[in-house]
Amino acid sequence: MKMTQTRSVGAGAAAPDGVAARAVAAPSGRTASHRSRSTRWAAVGFAAPLVVYLVAFYAFPLWRNIELSLHDYTPRAFVQGNAEFVGLDNYADVLSSRTFWPALRNTALFVVVSIAFQYVLGLALAVFFRQNFRLSGVLRGMFLIPWLLPLIVSASTWSWMLNSDNGIINSVLGAFGVGQVNWLTSPEWALVSVIVANIWLGIPFNLVILYSGLQNIPGDVYEAASLDGASAWQQFRKITFPLLRPVSIITLLLGLIYTLKVVDIIWIMTTGGPGSSSTTLAVWSYREAFGTGQPDFSPAAAVGNLLILIALAFGFVYLHLQRRQEQS
Amino acid sequence: MNGHRPWWKTALGVFFTALMLFPVYWMVNVSLTETGDMRSDPPHWFPWNPTLEGYRNVLDHQLPHLGTSMLIGLGTVVLTLVVAAPAAYSLAQLNLRGGKTLNFVLLVAQMIPGVIMAMGFYAIYIKLGLLNTVWGLIVADSTVAVPFAVLLLTTFMQGIPRELTQAATVDGAGTWRTFWSVVLPVSRNSMITASLFAFLWSWSDFIFASTLNRNGDLIPITLGIYKYIGNNTTQWNSIMATAVVASIPAAVLLVVAQRYVAAGVTAGAVKD
Amino acid sequence: MRKTTIRSLGVLGAVTLAAVSLTACSSDGGSGDAAGSYTWWDPYPQHDAASDWGKRVEACGVEAGVTVQRTAYDTTALTNQAMLSAQEGTSPDVILLDNPAVSTLADTGMLNTMEEFGFDTSAIDANLIAAGQIDGDTFGIPIGANTLALFYNQDVLTAAGVDTASITDWASLTDALAKVTSSGKKGITFAGIGTEEGSFQFLPWFWGAGADLRELDSPQAVAALELWTGWLADGYAPNSVISNSQNTTWEEFLTGDFGFVVNGTWQINSAAEADFATGVIPIPGQKGGSAAAPTGGEFVTMPVQKDEARYDTTRKIVECMTTTDGFVETGTTFAYYIPPTADGQAAILAENADLEPWVDAVNAAKGRTSDDLGTDYPKVSEQLWTAVQEALSGVETPEVALQQAQEAAEAAIG
Repeated sequence: MKMTQTRSVGAGAAAPDGVAARAVAAPSGRTASHRSRSTRWAAVGFAAPLVVYLVAFYAFPLWRNIELSLHDYTPRAFVQGNAEFVGLDNYADVLSSRTFWPALRNTALFVVVSIAFQYVLGLALAVFFRQNFRLSGVLRGMFLIPWLLPLIVSASTWSWMLNSDNGIINSVLGAFGVGQVNWLTSPEWALVSVIVANIWLGIPFNLVILYSGLQNIPGDVYEAASLDGASAWQQFRKITFPLLRPVSIITLLLGLIYTLKVVDIIWIMTTGGPGSSSTTLAVWSYREAFGTGQPDFSPAAAVGNLLILIALAFGFVYLHLQRRQEQS
Repeated sequence: MNGHRPWWKTALGVFFTALMLFPVYWMVNVSLTETGDMRSDPPHWFPWNPTLEGYRNVLDHQLPHLGTSMLIGLGTVVLTLVVAAPAAYSLAQLNLRGGKTLNFVLLVAQMIPGVIMAMGFYAIYIKLGLLNTVWGLIVADSTVAVPFAVLLLTTFMQGIPRELTQAATVDGAGTWRTFWSVVLPVSRNSMITASLFAFLWSWSDFIFASTLNRNGDLIPITLGIYKYIGNNTTQWNSIMATAVVASIPAAVLLVVAQRYVAAGVTAGAVKD
Repeated sequence: MRKTTIRSLGVLGAVTLAAVSLTACSSDGGSGDAAGSYTWWDPYPQHDAASDWGKRVEACGVEAGVTVQRTAYDTTALTNQAMLSAQEGTSPDVILLDNPAVSTLADTGMLNTMEEFGFDTSAIDANLIAAGQIDGDTFGIPIGANTLALFYNQDVLTAAGVDTASITDWASLTDALAKVTSSGKKGITFAGIGTEEGSFQFLPWFWGAGADLRELDSPQAVAALELWTGWLADGYAPNSVISNSQNTTWEEFLTGDFGFVVNGTWQINSAAEADFATGVIPIPGQKGGSAAAPTGGEFVTMPVQKDEARYDTTRKIVECMTTTDGFVETGTTFAYYIPPTADGQAAILAENADLEPWVDAVNAAKGRTSDDLGTDYPKVSEQLWTAVQEALSGVETPEVALQQAQEAAEAAIG
């Protein structure tokens, strides 16, 4: 709280620019304080719809998820609403389950590898498409098509292509003399396969946001740089990447949140198997709740809340980075 | 930059796009394949013996659902922007008290599993009589996009030079007018980006539709697909055909929107 | 500071109120709760209102003097939705449920018993109704039954010199697979996917070896799993069976490359339309005879309503499905369901004598939740399919995989 105030004062005072100086100098002291108060009210007013929206639509589900995880909700208790309070037992069960560590490891691999590739490929493509060549707009638009497909369709298509015996990918590899790879049915490859499919799905997201970020970097910065004789790589390193930093951070953070939650694609391609070799925490949670004939909402909610905690931890990192950026 | 446009860049672009869209080609391929050929080994690169049965099914049954999806998608975009844009302005430019906390809440909000959200809406909608309505689905779908849009728009709006908004204030504009006639036009790119995502998410939503709108008169296309998934049989060519047909209007919309983004480079907006 | 907080809360409250009243205004009545309208849920999204099934449900309503509002969900969604609606007190009047789900939902107390509705279930085959019975109470009536058998491609078998009459036990079946494979075709495909379908397909072999679901690591169970892993190791079955759904196996079979496929009653029509000659034999037991296959099919159930006056009409709607004529009509509408009563089976055989092997198979079949497993079945089944997956993919040996499954199942049942 204190910090934001200092920041607003600082921003006004430090602005070197004539316009800002006029803003500070012109009004008398009274109007200035009046304005800052009215600004504060305006800030609340502009944010009010969002706050109302959040309270109306998220508070209940969030509370529900916590409540589910602290009770023992058998299907019977779920319908009759008389679940026994068990404290943190569900969390203890989850943490001591033999699925937990493999699932955590798979989640880490799935998230880190997916995001790294999505971001790097998305950024490379964004930089490439910024060069405004013939058809660039249309081609960029076409890159979004994978996102228009219902997940059941894209995930099914991937499992189709990766089928060990009659998939197109093994068929192509076979033409180069590579033997049959059991993409979806061997413990070594299952996780790799779902990661590849997930990267494919995530590229449009990264491309769009990063491209839009590039658009906001004024062209004259580059013009000045190219006059100075900077190479394309130097321009990227010295201008594009640093100026894109806020957008990059938010892209990575959002990517992280969405990737942590991914269920459908893994479920459709491998159901988390074989064994638990491609089971992530989110898939595990889904399986407990809906993947068996016996819905087990409480452990599912506990796993879901663990995921929220993981995301929160990265949220703190984000805030920290943001603060550092403001200070610099 | 516009002076010479080397052809090899276009060629490279076409190559990347083709690589990216190969799975989509495969989907089209399957949509035209007879059930008996679907699992042939080795697979057919091309539907030599095409069947249009899937497309016939889609054109007979699925077109109205396409319209519903479009309506829900556009509704979600509008609702998302109405809620998110002012809030982002407040967070980015007006130093909202408790802004950090709000940011945090937005992060948490996005982590709530869709299924839990759907259960919550089910309970609320039963009481409000909003089950099986398009409006109910628009509101539910927007919950996926709003936190994202706020975070995204905030990030972009932080990049708007303060001089710009302060100049407007000095010229006597109130916060509302500054927002409306300075901040919004400058943020056009990021607004379009946020809209794209809001649209895409609602377009591909299945979980809300299946929980909240199962027996409405207006069902979206993702539910329409389930007509082809029986408990023991699956009509792949119809499913894939639905996906192909469904992606065409949306793809056109995307390409147009993308061109719009390209046309409205910020430099132009900042100048006036 | 305090003042501002209160004021801002006031503003918030006003806006919330406005938002709520706005949504409340725009809501247009609830779903059909009118006296003349009865709700019906089933797991057949592939049959829309204009389909034979859709019309049949509608006709049952007309016969009872009301309109039936039918909603179709896919199987998983149906169970979840049923629980959600029961929690909110808005259950539909009738739900058609996949048979293993009946015990789960009955256990929640949301279903009425057939006795309360005055239905006499004594004519229903005991092995079929078992899935709907818990502690002596019956919570539903099967509207028909299906089960698994071995479909074969006659052309492939003829070319490989295999006579199906010689297939009487596992050894002779494996011999036949060897012949088919050495003739250049593929032996057999089945579904080993990590879901309930995987257990469903494994059970005929599991039971055919004499194993019991209460003891997943018995030598008989290990023998059954080793049969499958052996087929994969010898190349008689493709590696893709590990992720195959039943639907995928059928698509593989339709390519004409496979000698055999494990699949169910629902493929009868598709088999008849295939580009090659097909036939069906029962799944053999390890040492001869037919193995018990699991029963599949839906039960008609009647959830508890606040307004008990609705039950009279609900009974009429359900009766339309459970008479002998009703069973036969359902059986042919679905091409094919085997009626669950002796009378019904005789009647459908009179119409279509080709169904004989399937009627036999259904009579020999066994409910998954029977053996008093009830709501424990889903927990055991999850461990069983996990073990199958681990063994087939080579993560564990069949023996170790089943041992771990047994331990996990015991822990889950508690």
